[in-house]
Amino acid sequence: MTDASALTGGRITPWRRSARRLKLPVAVGISVLFMALAVICVIAPFVAPHDPTFIDPTKSFLGPSLDHPLGTDQLGRDIVSRIIAGARTAVLAPLALAAGAVLLSTVLAVLAGYTGGRIDAVIGRANDILYSIPSLTVAIVIVGVVGGGFTLSIAVLMVFGLPGNIRLLRAAVLERVNLPYIEAAKMSGLSTPRILLTQLVPAISPLIVTSFFLQVTFAIVELSSLSFLGLGVAPGSPDWGLMLAENRAALSSNVWAAAGPALCLVALAVSSNLIGDWLYTRYEKAGRSR
Amino acid sequence: MSLDITTTETTDKPWLISPLARMILQRLVAAVVVLFVVTILIFAFIHAAPGGPEQAIGGREATPELLESIREENHLNDPLWQQYTTFVTNLLHGDLGTSYTRREPVSTSIATAAGVTLPLLLATWVLSTVIGGALGLYTARRQGSRADRAVIGFTVVGASSPVFATGVLLSYVFGVKLGWLPTLGSGDGGMDTVKHLILPVLTTTIVLMASTTRFARVRFGQVLEEDQVTFARSRGLSSRYIVKTVVLKNSGVQMITLAGAVLVAMTGGLVVVEQVYGLQGIGTLLITGITMRDIPIVQGVTLVIALMVVVINLVVDVLCFVIDPRLRKGLEATS
Repeated sequence: MTDASALTGGRITPWRRSARRLKLPVAVGISVLFMALAVICVIAPFVAPHDPTFIDPTKSFLGPSLDHPLGTDQLGRDIVSRIIAGARTAVLAPLALAAGAVLLSTVLAVLAGYTGGRIDAVIGRANDILYSIPSLTVAIVIVGVVGGGFTLSIAVLMVFGLPGNIRLLRAAVLERVNLPYIEAAKMSGLSTPRILLTQLVPAISPLIVTSFFLQVTFAIVELSSLSFLGLGVAPGSPDWGLMLAENRAALSSNVWAAAGPALCLVALAVSSNLIGDWLYTRYEKAGRSR
Repeated sequence: MSLDITTTETTDKPWLISPLARMILQRLVAAVVVLFVVTILIFAFIHAAPGGPEQAIGGREATPELLESIREENHLNDPLWQQYTTFVTNLLHGDLGTSYTRREPVSTSIATAAGVTLPLLLATWVLSTVIGGALGLYTARRQGSRADRAVIGFTVVGASSPVFATGVLLSYVFGVKLGWLPTLGSGDGGMDTVKHLILPVLTTTIVLMASTTRFARVRFGQVLEEDQVTFARSRGLSSRYIVKTVVLKNSGVQMITLAGAVLVAMTGGLVVVEQVYGLQGIGTLLITGITMRDIPIVQGVTLVIALMVVVINLVVDVLCFVIDPRLRKGLEATS
C-alpha cells in the first residue's frame, strides 16, 4: 500500500472516485438501485418465473427451492412471481398518490402564500382542520364503509397528505415572496402566472421534490396498511400488504410467504425515505451556503 | 404545580389570564369544528355506501318485509339530515346509540374494548417517549460516533416500515422461531394478558421509537449547539448539570409536542397492530363494525378516537404555553 492510499484509507477505484464526486452515500446508492429494480418489475412483469395467479393445491406452502426461490402460498402460487406482479401496485400507487398530493399542495401553497389575505386565511383554516383529523382512522372508515376500492384509498389518502405539505411549502413561499427578485419581476411587468411559474416555483422546487419522496414513503406505509386490513385492493390480487395478511397465519409452514413481501415493503419505503432525506440534506446545505 | 404559575402571575397582572383563556377558547371552538367535520364526513360516507346495515342485522335469509321493518325500527328511512340531528342530539346526552350486531350500548362495547387497548396504548406511549428521548439525548451528545450512526440507521428503517410488517417479522422470531411469546389473542387475564401484550407493545414501540429518537436527537442537538451551552461549559459546569438545566429545559416544549404526536400517531397504527395480534381492542371493534355495517359502532369509535386526538392536541398546546414563558409573551404581544 502506498502512502497516498494509506491516507485516504484504502484503494480508490475509478468507480468509487466518481461515486465520491457525486457525494452519493452507499445507502442511497443501494436505495436507487432497489427503486430501479422495482420499476423494472413494473415495466416488465414477464420476468416472473411463474404465473402469479396459477393455482396448484398440491404445492401448498412449499419451502424455498430452485423452482420456487421463496416457496409457495396456501394455494400453491409462486411467491417470487407474486412479489414481482405486486410491484406494480406497490410502486405505482404511492407514486401517483404522492404526485397528486404534492402537486395539489404546491398549487394551494403558492396560492395561499403569494396572494395572502383572505385566500390564505381560508386555506390555512381548512388546512388546520384537516391536520387535526386522525387521518388513517378516518381513511380506514371511509374506504371500509364504501366497500374498498383502490382508487378511493388513493384519493382519500391524497387528501390527508395535503396539510403537512401545504404547511411546509407555504412557509417556503413566504420566505421568498418578499425577496427583491420577485419584486423586480413584478416591476418589470411580468404577469402573475408567469412570475409564479418562472420565478417562484423553480425557487422552491428542491423542497417540492423532497416532499414528494417523503410523501411516497408515507404512501407506501399507509396504502399497504389498508391492503393489509383487506380494504385496498381486491381480494386475491397480488399486493404485498394483502399477501402479508393472507400468509401471516402460516409463518411456521413457509415464513417467506409473509417475510418476502414484508421485506420488500420495508426496503421500498426505506429507499424512498433515504433518497428523500439525502435530497433534503443537500437542499439545506445549498441553502446555507448561498 | 402548573396551575400555581398561572394564578400567581395573574395576581400581579390581571390581564395575563385573558390571552391564555382566549387561546384555549379559540382552540376549543376549532376542536368542535373538527369533530363536526369528522362526524359529518363519516356519516355521509356511511349512508352513501351501497348495502345497508339491515342486511347485516337481518341475516342472509331475511325477507324484504323483515328488512323494511328493520329499516323502520332503526329510523334508516328518515331523511339524512334528520338522522344526523338525532345522532348529534343523542350524542349531547352522552348516548352513542345501540350496536346493531352486539345488542348492547355502543359505550359498553367501547369500554370493554378499551380495557385491551388502553394498557397497550399507555405502555407504548411511555416506552417510546422515554426510550426515544433518552436515545435522542445519548446520540445528540455523540454525533457522528458509531453508536450514533447505528441508531440513525435503526430510525430510518423503523420509521419507514409499516407496523404490520414489523409485527409479522417480530411474531415470527419471538413466537414461531423462539416460541417465547404468544402471538395471537388477548390472553385470559393476569400474567397471561401481560404476556400477550408484550409483542404488540414491542412492535408499536419499535416503530414509534424510531420517530421519537430522531426528533429528540435533532432538537437536543440544536440546543447543544446554542451559545448558552458553550457558555455554561466555559464556566466549568458539569455535563450532567448542563443537560438537566439547559438542554432539557429548552427542549421541554418540543418534547411535550412529541409526546402528544406519538399518542396521535398511535390511534391509526392501533387498528393495524390489533389486527396483527388478534387483540379484541378498539381497532378490532372498528374493523368488525365496518365489515358488519354496524353504523353506531363505527360512528362511536371514530368519534371517540377523534375526540381523543382533539383533546390531546389541546392539552399539548395548553401545556406548552404553561411551561414556556416565551410563548406566553408572544401571546400577549399578539392580543
